[in-house]
Amino acid sequence: MTRFSSYVITCVVLLFSVITQATTVQDSKGTFTIDYQPKRIIVLEFSFADALAAVNVSPIGIADDKDPTRVLKDVRDIIGDWTSVGTRSQPSLEVIASLKPDLIIADIARHEAVYKDLQKIAPTLILPSRRETYEGSLKAAGIIGKVVGKDSAMQTRLQKHKTIMMELAKQLPHNAEVQFGVARDDALFLHTADSYAGGVIRALGLTNAETGRDDSAYRQTGLEQLVAINPEYLLIGHYVTPSIIDKWQNEPLWSVLKVARNKHLYKVNPNVWSKSRGIVAAERMGQDLIKILNAK
Amino acid sequence: MKQSRPFPTLITGMLILIIANLMFGAVSIPLNEILKGFQQGSDNYFTLHEYRLPRTLLAVLVGAMMALSGALVQGVIRNPLASPDVLGVSHGAGLAAVIYMTYFPASSIDWLPAVALVGGLLAALILWWLCGQSSSAIKLAITGVALAALYASGVDFLMLVKPLEINNALLWLTGSLWGRGWHQLMMILPWLLLIPVAFWLAKSLNLIHLGDDTAMSLGINANKLRLVSLAVAVGLTASCVAVCGPIGFLGLVAPHLTRKLVGGRHQTLLPATMLVGAILLLVADLVARTIDPPIELPAGLMTAIIGAPYFLWLLFRTK
Repeated sequence: MTRFSSYVITCVVLLFSVITQATTVQDSKGTFTIDYQPKRIIVLEFSFADALAAVNVSPIGIADDKDPTRVLKDVRDIIGDWTSVGTRSQPSLEVIASLKPDLIIADIARHEAVYKDLQKIAPTLILPSRRETYEGSLKAAGIIGKVVGKDSAMQTRLQKHKTIMMELAKQLPHNAEVQFGVARDDALFLHTADSYAGGVIRALGLTNAETGRDDSAYRQTGLEQLVAINPEYLLIGHYVTPSIIDKWQNEPLWSVLKVARNKHLYKVNPNVWSKSRGIVAAERMGQDLIKILNAK
Repeated sequence: MKQSRPFPTLITGMLILIIANLMFGAVSIPLNEILKGFQQGSDNYFTLHEYRLPRTLLAVLVGAMMALSGALVQGVIRNPLASPDVLGVSHGAGLAAVIYMTYFPASSIDWLPAVALVGGLLAALILWWLCGQSSSAIKLAITGVALAALYASGVDFLMLVKPLEINNALLWLTGSLWGRGWHQLMMILPWLLLIPVAFWLAKSLNLIHLGDDTAMSLGINANKLRLVSLAVAVGLTASCVAVCGPIGFLGLVAPHLTRKLVGGRHQTLLPATMLVGAILLLVADLVARTIDPPIELPAGLMTAIIGAPYFLWLLFRTK
């Protein structure tokens, strides 16, 4: 064999291995392998759209509950238009199939029941999103980066995210106690230290309020329990107005709270603080906190 | 208003609805594309063969079985307001499912139908233990309703204590055909064996309508008949609820409408009510899928919207 032909063979083999290089990651159902760069991606949770936006990839379909504004504006600006595939709880498999995706990213908490159907449509990456922690969502973003063939871009973005969060933390009062919750018409759910929002608050050098022994991410809390927890700062995402917090403010017990005396009750956008659970969302939350905590 | 030939009309109606269910949805498929869609590799293969076809067939079977179960219960309890719900089966299944979802959120959802099925059957067994072999229809109904209320309060309690899982649990408790496919259809199939048993009971059910004593003097063992009929009804309901969740009001409304169409003779009532039940669920799911696409509403919501007013109307009519 001549030297030239052996070079050629080596080059061809190398080229081939680059082209068909399969990416393998661990998802919630085991091993997920993909040997091409997906171009038509459908995501069934907001956090996955956030992860794609972080590396400038646009999904063609999002389960956005048929309300595009639920996707963060910063994310929308990056990814452009998409087709709604229905609600996150019951996405329309027909619409998903009609979009002819080559990758679907689903949430293990919501979509396990249709995992097999989704796989018949396209390779399906299934990851935790609902009730996921901040660290968990960063990890999920890393996995998504690998699968969409943007591993290095995602690692860079995650590194940048760390820097941004540290920069934001420097501008915030150290160890201030911040509690976030979502208020519905008849119930307040505090997002505990184990929740996504709780993790972001810690990552910004702030502390979580002590919400009592309960390992769940979201904890329903009454007014008396809230008085017992008595956080320094209370940030509320109102799902409806007037919400239960608006009603509580007329009760005598409310005035006992530190947040009532120091006027440390603030409104934040629940789409950012509760529903998004991603990289872009965390940075947005940091900016919200700077506005709130530094406004004197 | 009795139709002279109800069966051809009902069957035609059902076939039209089956085709409509295959054609319409978030993505409409023209009629001439439908046959092509069943060939592997064609454009609409997934939507038609993997999604709409099993779902439509499931709607037919579940609708028919729930309706048949309702007709059997109404036949032996001899009360027009009776339905499989008075046996507490769907509530028992609901409680089992909610317990499974709240206390084992990490476990696989694949086991949910089995858990619900066991819950439903267990509820029926409890009713049987409490009422014993030979109890009157009314005692059975009242005990069943009380038990159902107990299970329902258990569900409410769990959802209040563990509010996190409400979304999934509520969705399941409404009853839906979303995401159900061939696999679920296969789970239902063995239970179809109960249908011939129900038909075999038809003649005796006519007689028991005359009252226990008269039926007995005509050679019917009323207690035994009641037990077998209710057991069949329980099996039909529990298997459907396990797969689709408790789709409300079907078992109540379908036999009623049918009685208006074909009269109370069980030999015609039972098969006709199955067709009516299938038609009702096909309509409910079609509407639920097409009312605001791509949002899919649970079919149970639709049957409740049709069923609840009908139930009220029935209450006011029944003096």
